[in-house]
Amino acid sequence: MIGNAPFFVVGILFLAALVAIFMEKNLIKIAIAISIISSAVNLFLVALGYRTGATIPIHYLAGEGTVMVLPTPQAMTLTAIVIALATTALLLSIIMLVYRHYGTLNVDEIRRLRG
Amino acid sequence: MNWNEHLPALLLAVPLFGAFIAPVVCLFGKTTRNILMTGITFITLIIALLLWKNVLAGGPAIYVMGGESFNIALPSGMALPIRIILEADAFSAFMVLCGAIAAFAGALFSTNYMEKFSGMGRFTSLYFLLTVGMLGMMVTGDLFNFFIFIEIASIASFGLIAFWRDKPEAIEASLKYALVSQVGSMVFLIAAGCLYGKYNALNMAAVGSLLQFGTMEKLVLVFFVGSLAMKCGAFPMHMWLPDAYAEAPSGVTCLLVAVSQASLYGLMRVCFSLYGINLGGSFIPWMIIAMGLASMFFGVSMAVVQHEIKRLIGYHSVSQVGYMLLGLGVGLLVLKDARSMAEYGFTAMKGGIFHIFNYTMYKALLFLAAGAIYYATGKRDLNQLGGLARRMPFTTFMFVIAAAAISGLPPFNGFVSKLLIYESVFAVHPALTVVALVTSVLTLASFVKVFQTAFLGPEKNALVSTREVPAGMLLGMGVLTVAVLGASLFPAWTLSNLVEPAAKALVDQAGYIGAVMGGGL
Amino acid sequence: MFGTVYTGFGYWDVTSWILFFGIAAGLTLWLRAQGRDDYKEGTDQDEIYWSGNVVPEDGEDISVPASSAYWGFRKALEPYYNRLIGMHTGIATDIVGFYVLVVAFMAVFILIA
Repeated sequence: MIGNAPFFVVGILFLAALVAIFMEKNLIKIAIAISIISSAVNLFLVALGYRTGATIPIHYLAGEGTVMVLPTPQAMTLTAIVIALATTALLLSIIMLVYRHYGTLNVDEIRRLRG
Repeated sequence: MNWNEHLPALLLAVPLFGAFIAPVVCLFGKTTRNILMTGITFITLIIALLLWKNVLAGGPAIYVMGGESFNIALPSGMALPIRIILEADAFSAFMVLCGAIAAFAGALFSTNYMEKFSGMGRFTSLYFLLTVGMLGMMVTGDLFNFFIFIEIASIASFGLIAFWRDKPEAIEASLKYALVSQVGSMVFLIAAGCLYGKYNALNMAAVGSLLQFGTMEKLVLVFFVGSLAMKCGAFPMHMWLPDAYAEAPSGVTCLLVAVSQASLYGLMRVCFSLYGINLGGSFIPWMIIAMGLASMFFGVSMAVVQHEIKRLIGYHSVSQVGYMLLGLGVGLLVLKDARSMAEYGFTAMKGGIFHIFNYTMYKALLFLAAGAIYYATGKRDLNQLGGLARRMPFTTFMFVIAAAAISGLPPFNGFVSKLLIYESVFAVHPALTVVALVTSVLTLASFVKVFQTAFLGPEKNALVSTREVPAGMLLGMGVLTVAVLGASLFPAWTLSNLVEPAAKALVDQAGYIGAVMGGGL
Repeated sequence: MFGTVYTGFGYWDVTSWILFFGIAAGLTLWLRAQGRDDYKEGTDQDEIYWSGNVVPEDGEDISVPASSAYWGFRKALEPYYNRLIGMHTGIATDIVGFYVLVVAFMAVFILIA
């Protein structure tokens, strides 16, 4: 059970951030919640690759260990982190432009497009 | 070097190359930039045609990125697929063709439409990145790679939708799309990670051959279907679609239509080729049919009461996606039952797939015509337009063709695909056909309203000085009109050469898996 | 090429449709050509009839705005439209809320069914 702790943390983080997205009113807090969701998913991917008592997945530096951690999820996580970085940067600049035009960061007031 | 084997990679490499040299080339002036945009999209179209011919002749085209062989023989004798594999079967080639035609038409249109904008180097770069994302979604054979291309397309679209930086509505539309798209993509990644964790493979064919339907696979399927249906614009999650399509510049909207179709492609790939016979019960097909019916009906009833032209056409987008979900959902419902499949299931799938082609063509044409009206008059509100048919005859003619096609009037292509859907869906339950027919009538009603208020009617004094739009925009619309008329006048040829191989490839899960895993499940 | 499309339940033939359309169009144009062409352009004979009133110069005053089209349809379905348009609030996080509701609904029902 203790070995499954990372997955419980992933679940808690993901659900907390998801609830924050549609309960919060401030756009910056919503952007932070999206960033937390990305972190939760990245943690999930890294935790998938772990094997008990294994060493780093580099052949020449492995030492005496015969079991290695899976490298594919680590590659996936790196890619996902870079993508989340790009999207967060773009999201924050869009929020900045919204503030410049609307003067408010309250999600309930940014609704000129409705109906 | 044998060009034919490198076609799937060239399909992605050419627009990507265009995206990276665009900022440099745009320093040399407007003409060079226009030549770059139209040239690269034209070459992409040629590659798409060659790829389609190749796939029709020789089966699914496999391409390994950066390596020689795509499987590695384990000591036990099994072949394990490694490296990132692009797999283009007939359905992928069909969608690539739709997307390439839409990209070409949008590029031609944007050469003139974006005259008064600054920062065009970045626009060209983002446009090509969006094309790469869309084409990549359609040819990849790997789940994580699919996520990457979804994100490339999403990031490029956030930038392009917000391109009109001075208008607050455009920024708001981009914000809404960004929020829901990010949440959807993260859920998609969790689902792909779950599948990797259990089967130790990311390749779609490998996972498809190893899949056993248990509790985790049920949740993974629900996450996939939910996220991809959100990106197509299925009913309760469609609210971003009219806003985003209305506020983006019209050449970009033309391409965004094809990007939504790429998400529909992903949905079908997951349901048919990844799960296929392991779909387990009929909950997901009925859920897809229900989302299709809801999108159709609620989309069109929202569209009838709009008074802004691009928003109205955006709501029609939601409703047309419902048609495709309905046709493909019926095909999915009877996938395991060979007799019903031969009787009406395969026809429903042909109708849904043909509708994808028709929809991309006529919807892109509608958006381009709306953009032409905005360029010529500076107004988007239907209450202020009127009597434009005297001043803009070509635009009127092409708008009539597109409006008749979307309403399902004979002899246009919209009628043929809708007829296939009506007649085959009737065999499942008559109520489904009734909803589809009522939607078609309401579509016709709203387009009669648009055509009458925008083009017919008395000449308004405020609009006396409008003239026909420049040649580049007319050419862009002309490309799509030729495609619409071609599919209308030669329906049997289109169905048997374009749609039927695609439908057969989609149903044939064993063929898809066997092309990579080497013979049989 | 100009073939017929056979659905499982019927067929659609483009050539026959275009032929019939051509015949009907020819008939309509012949009927239209039976009108008189000895009217004087630009005088009262050319003007539209607007219930006997003076026709205004600006087209703006004669045209019916697009928002009043389908007024009766919208009024008859007032409860339905109020609820439907009320659902499209335009708040950004409502879309995420709907998405989560749909995924949760599907997840619960797929585990039961």
